[in-house]
Amino acid sequence: MQSLGFAFAIEPVLRKLYPDPEEYESRLRLHMSYFNTQPYLASYILGAVTRLEQERASGRKPVADVQGLKTSLMAPLGALGDSFFWGSLKPFAAVMAVALVITGSWWAPLLFLAVYNSVHVVLRAGVLVSGYRSGGDAVDLMARYRFTKTAKLLKVTSLVMLGVIPGVLPSWRPEFRIAVTAPDMAVSAAGLALTLGIVGLLRKGGSPVTFMLGLGVACLVMAYAGVI
Amino acid sequence: MTFVDPHTVLSALGIAIAGGLIGLDRTAVGQFMISQPIVAGPFTGWLLGDATTGLLVGAALELIWILDMPVGAFVPADSTAAAIGATAIAILGNPGGVYVPGVGFSILLTVILAPITMMADQVARQFNSRLADAAQSASGPDLRKRIARAHVSGIGVFFLKSLAVYLAFIPVGIAAVRLFLAMPDPFHRAMALFVKLLPLMGVALAARKLSMKAVDLFLLGGFILAVLMGQMFQAPALVILPLAVAGGLLGARYRDRRS
Repeated sequence: MQSLGFAFAIEPVLRKLYPDPEEYESRLRLHMSYFNTQPYLASYILGAVTRLEQERASGRKPVADVQGLKTSLMAPLGALGDSFFWGSLKPFAAVMAVALVITGSWWAPLLFLAVYNSVHVVLRAGVLVSGYRSGGDAVDLMARYRFTKTAKLLKVTSLVMLGVIPGVLPSWRPEFRIAVTAPDMAVSAAGLALTLGIVGLLRKGGSPVTFMLGLGVACLVMAYAGVI
Repeated sequence: MTFVDPHTVLSALGIAIAGGLIGLDRTAVGQFMISQPIVAGPFTGWLLGDATTGLLVGAALELIWILDMPVGAFVPADSTAAAIGATAIAILGNPGGVYVPGVGFSILLTVILAPITMMADQVARQFNSRLADAAQSASGPDLRKRIARAHVSGIGVFFLKSLAVYLAFIPVGIAAVRLFLAMPDPFHRAMALFVKLLPLMGVALAARKLSMKAVDLFLLGGFILAVLMGQMFQAPALVILPLAVAGGLLGARYRDRRS
């Protein structure tokens, strides 16, 4: 489906660059071939391809390998973008928002959108421009944006914030708070122990759906056994 | 209140359409993350006049699938459908205000929905891949029009897929929630506990994906910081979180230097 999106996005450029209908059609058809990458970093490839098509049409690089550039960039940028946006930035913003909602801040979803999109929109526009300027020099992209290093930092800070969630368990909003008569420290420690226990079970395998169903059944058993 | 009162039917229909539009943010349009449970849940709740229920659903579900990425042919569970569906049936099934056991039961129902949404997503993607092939067959001036039409049709297919899922699920879910309300007390206590434990399960699922270690030192550091600041100095989460971010950054730099 991304090939269609790419062709749709590049079409106005091609129409402007190639007045000859046959050449225009052959270039447009070229951009309908298989294309799959991380959607935000597709902007970088779009910028670079625009530059190459311009150079090709003007005669500066008549044999520019546009398809070769797309093919060589889509896999590494896909991996890089998945790791940065889906694997680091999104969890970072989400963990922050969940920690705040759970302790009573109703506006945390707005903060989530602000944190995520302030980075995402700026980068999305930025990589389009750098793709065009560099003509697809991925080394320039890596040096300019430091995706790998930033992703590492975001992952670590997400883990620290994840630790905060069981740590503030006694001050969770009433709907989430478990009513037990125990010191706050013991409640937090029990929350952490339970979390680490689930992590241990997860290491043995199983999907989130299986675990949620298991948790539901375990709660039902505890209710009927009179534990809760 | 009957099951088919006009208000419930119109509300369900409205949420199915809104849900279809919000669902586009997952794959087809923008990806500004309004489809994430933490946003889609409260937004759905706000549309139905009970943002708090949506906030509870969103917070409980957000971390569960947070690191399931659409990599290669893998299609992750539709957490948007889960959040919107659970919020809608929790509110429309029990319109008397926030009822935590009802929220828990609604979330559990949408968990069962997850494999169905994954299948529906795969079907929509397969159908959309055929649109590109069909556009290829055009030639001349038709090619541009066919590309534009296929592009918009692809977005439409994703919308219709979500709409169909909500239209099928919400009425069944409302009926199930109303049956749940008549169930014995242990069911209600169990579902209340389920909601309270879900955030911890979310933390565990996210931690498992972010770190390969059984006990991650950064996670432990965050916990100790929260306990010290929260319980000794009564600091709110709003103060603890920036400290956690700063601590995480310092810790990461220290680890990098050592390695």
